[in-house]
Amino acid sequence: MPEPLHHAAFEFVRESGGIEEYRHRGNGLTVLLLPEAAAPVATFMVTYRVGSRNEGAGLTGATHLLEHLMFKGTERFNREAGTSIFAVLQRVGAQMNATTWYDRTNYYELLPVEHLPLAVEIEADRMRGARVSEADLASERTVVLNELDRGENEPLRKLLHAVFATAFFAHPYGHPVIGWRSDVETVTAADLRHFYDTYYWPAHATVSVLGQIDRAEALDLVDRHFGAIPAGPEQAADAPEPLTHREAVTQEPPQQGERRVIVRQAGQLGAVLCAWKAPAGLDADADALDVLDQILSGGKSSRLYRRLTDRGLTTHVSTFFPRLRDPGLFAIYAMLAPDGAHEAVEAELRAVAAEIAAEGVTPDELARARRQVVADEAFGRDGPYAVAARLNEAIAVGDWTLFTEYRSRIEAVTAEAVQAAARKVFLDDLLTVGHYVPVEGDGPGGDASPE
Amino acid sequence: MTMDEHLQTNGHPHSHLAERTSVTRAGAADLWLLPTEVRDVVSFRGSLETAPDLTGDDDLVQHLLADLLDKGTRRRDRFAIAEALEGRGAQLTFYPDTLRLGFAGRALRDDLPEVLALLAEQLREPLLDPDEVEKERARAVAGVRQAMESTAAQATGALKRRLFPADHPSFVRTPEAEIAGIEAISAERLRAFHAERVAADGLRIAFAGDLDPEATARTVGGLFGGWPSHGLAARFAPGAEGYVPGEDTVPIADRLNLDVRFGHPLDLRRDAPDYLALYVGNFILGGNFSARLMQTVRDEQGLTYGISSAIGDVNVEHGGYWRIGVTLSQANLARGIEATEAVVRRFVEDGITAAELEEKQPTLAGTHVVSLATTSGLAARLLVNAERGFPVEYLDRYPDLVRALTVEEVNAAIRRHFDPERLSRAVAGTLPAAVLG
Repeated sequence: MPEPLHHAAFEFVRESGGIEEYRHRGNGLTVLLLPEAAAPVATFMVTYRVGSRNEGAGLTGATHLLEHLMFKGTERFNREAGTSIFAVLQRVGAQMNATTWYDRTNYYELLPVEHLPLAVEIEADRMRGARVSEADLASERTVVLNELDRGENEPLRKLLHAVFATAFFAHPYGHPVIGWRSDVETVTAADLRHFYDTYYWPAHATVSVLGQIDRAEALDLVDRHFGAIPAGPEQAADAPEPLTHREAVTQEPPQQGERRVIVRQAGQLGAVLCAWKAPAGLDADADALDVLDQILSGGKSSRLYRRLTDRGLTTHVSTFFPRLRDPGLFAIYAMLAPDGAHEAVEAELRAVAAEIAAEGVTPDELARARRQVVADEAFGRDGPYAVAARLNEAIAVGDWTLFTEYRSRIEAVTAEAVQAAARKVFLDDLLTVGHYVPVEGDGPGGDASPE
Repeated sequence: MTMDEHLQTNGHPHSHLAERTSVTRAGAADLWLLPTEVRDVVSFRGSLETAPDLTGDDDLVQHLLADLLDKGTRRRDRFAIAEALEGRGAQLTFYPDTLRLGFAGRALRDDLPEVLALLAEQLREPLLDPDEVEKERARAVAGVRQAMESTAAQATGALKRRLFPADHPSFVRTPEAEIAGIEAISAERLRAFHAERVAADGLRIAFAGDLDPEATARTVGGLFGGWPSHGLAARFAPGAEGYVPGEDTVPIADRLNLDVRFGHPLDLRRDAPDYLALYVGNFILGGNFSARLMQTVRDEQGLTYGISSAIGDVNVEHGGYWRIGVTLSQANLARGIEATEAVVRRFVEDGITAAELEEKQPTLAGTHVVSLATTSGLAARLLVNAERGFPVEYLDRYPDLVRALTVEEVNAAIRRHFDPERLSRAVAGTLPAAVLG
């Protein structure tokens, strides 16, 4: 590894797996550097550690809507001046976008390396300079409502929303990242501005610079554009009002019994989703649950494929264990074959889970799962955006070294650890079951109702 | 350094794919081998020409066959195949690609020979067991039924039925006809198709990543050494004679987001002199977020989450179509259609401006560089380029070709090929009462 850089504006924090972490001495901005020589491109990414987890009642979907408004521009970069962010960046061949998730919002540009300064300049400018105006919100609100309608067209997404809302009474993971429709319809620019002024500061952000970069030049660039921004509203002389940011959000009370939900919608094929309360992403059991995830659904040699799809009960079975900052869900979902019955498929999914809790996994399964994770990790470093996408999730969970140390963490998982984790998670009292039931013709409008 | 200077001076060694790619013949296969600086991983993508008869149901047979190639060979059952791949963290998939059978894979460097051996075995000796055929048929039927819930799939299908004759590679059956067609395919039919048409004809494989070109070529040569050819020619309609524009609706209950597709057939080939001019013209209309359609109908008017235009399915063997797609909430359906049509009409009538061309030329050059940043992206670009019969140098020259285009050339291509009066329209979803009435 190269020696840590001595830079007037940054202090070196740590190194792991080729990634160096620096912290800005002035405003605390975290910077991650990963030089990769494979192609003459770079990725610049800002991850704000704010997501739908930080939204309260009436403001669901605010994080996502704000993400949209961040493209409407700043005083310097805007459509009216002929310098809209998309036009300026796409002109130089950048692939760019932003995504919102439970624990984070990220903005990224993947572009020919010589244009990296432009990406840094624009991201720094919109960290504090976004307009977030009523006029911009007016046209973007309908765009997001259309995005919401698109999602509601999808059976699996409707089912997932219903199961999360049933599993989480109190914690904000209970509402969809895109928000409830009435909130998206009524949120004001002032609401979004308040949200922006609370969270879009260096203290809540991690900046990642990846690709064919010179490390010192990258730090110079970040300092030049982000260096003068105050750490947070408390340090800003002209902050619009004192804002409070609570690190902790409402905690979910322990689940003490199975819950069930049905979603009816006009459609063709049914689906079943079983979701158990699962530990937070940095919990000691989370690595074992990632291995279990592979064993259950990693390809056509997996347990669920053999037990359900290969036998014609389902057309597709998959698992879903997003590693989140707070305790989340470990979910299995199955798309039913045309004459499949919900009850039979649910019973089979639960039987597979119970078997693993009771009997554990085989050495072959464990070896195969590990090997898949190792290969995924190698392919996860193929191209700068693939790295950025994985790094982004690790930042969101709360520790970016989860990305760099992932392989060794997975290789350390034993069969005993997988079984122990399954025993803790696969309990009926922690389970929420969702059924997607297609109905013919004009359905009731797709409402979720308790069973 | 500006983008232009960068490309002109070729300041980076990675600029020249042609110099770094070994093009060679190994057994019955033509290979494109590109070592890159990525560590440990190799991606590959390949295809062979099956010469299907599209006046019948060969397209459905080929699709089902592609799904069955991992369900057992004469030497190992479906689980042994899955374990051999997944035990190495490797992936290998087969897919139908109209006139070709395609495959894509990835492996860690040291596992590549084993994965290639499996590729050869699955291609050359599939089991096509009747029980597995039956299961795969059921899965395929379920897939069609799932697509019946998708407004995007149904709008595109309706448009393509309107645009193309049944024996054109782009034609899409109705869901009912597709289900009936799938259910009629027997294991014998699949075996006969495999025996007659899956052979060495047009076998091309492109590799990119941490690989040794000579060793890889030796491995492929050994695996595909004595594979014979079928020598057959595909039967299909290359054009869309007799096309009459029209409007189609596919009502789907409980789908308050509707998908709308506009389009007309294009009678040109990928190697036509004005293809690139037309491509760039279309890109200015609807190629990315800063293109006219997104800027007007989404960013300015807020009517849609997504709108784009594309040149679809055009290749060197047959023509394709011009497609404009937009997603609209029920309340905005009429306004969204009207706004889209207005932008398209004005685009064809007035053409593009010099400023638009100057803006999009570096966009396309930069996007090209970015698309070559992963091994899978490189393998895919090398294969498609080879299937077109283009030399690897074309990929290196592409930014210069785009940069050399003039406003006059682009506008001439737009006027020659795009005609708003010939556009058909298809809408899928829960239609507002006024439209239904």
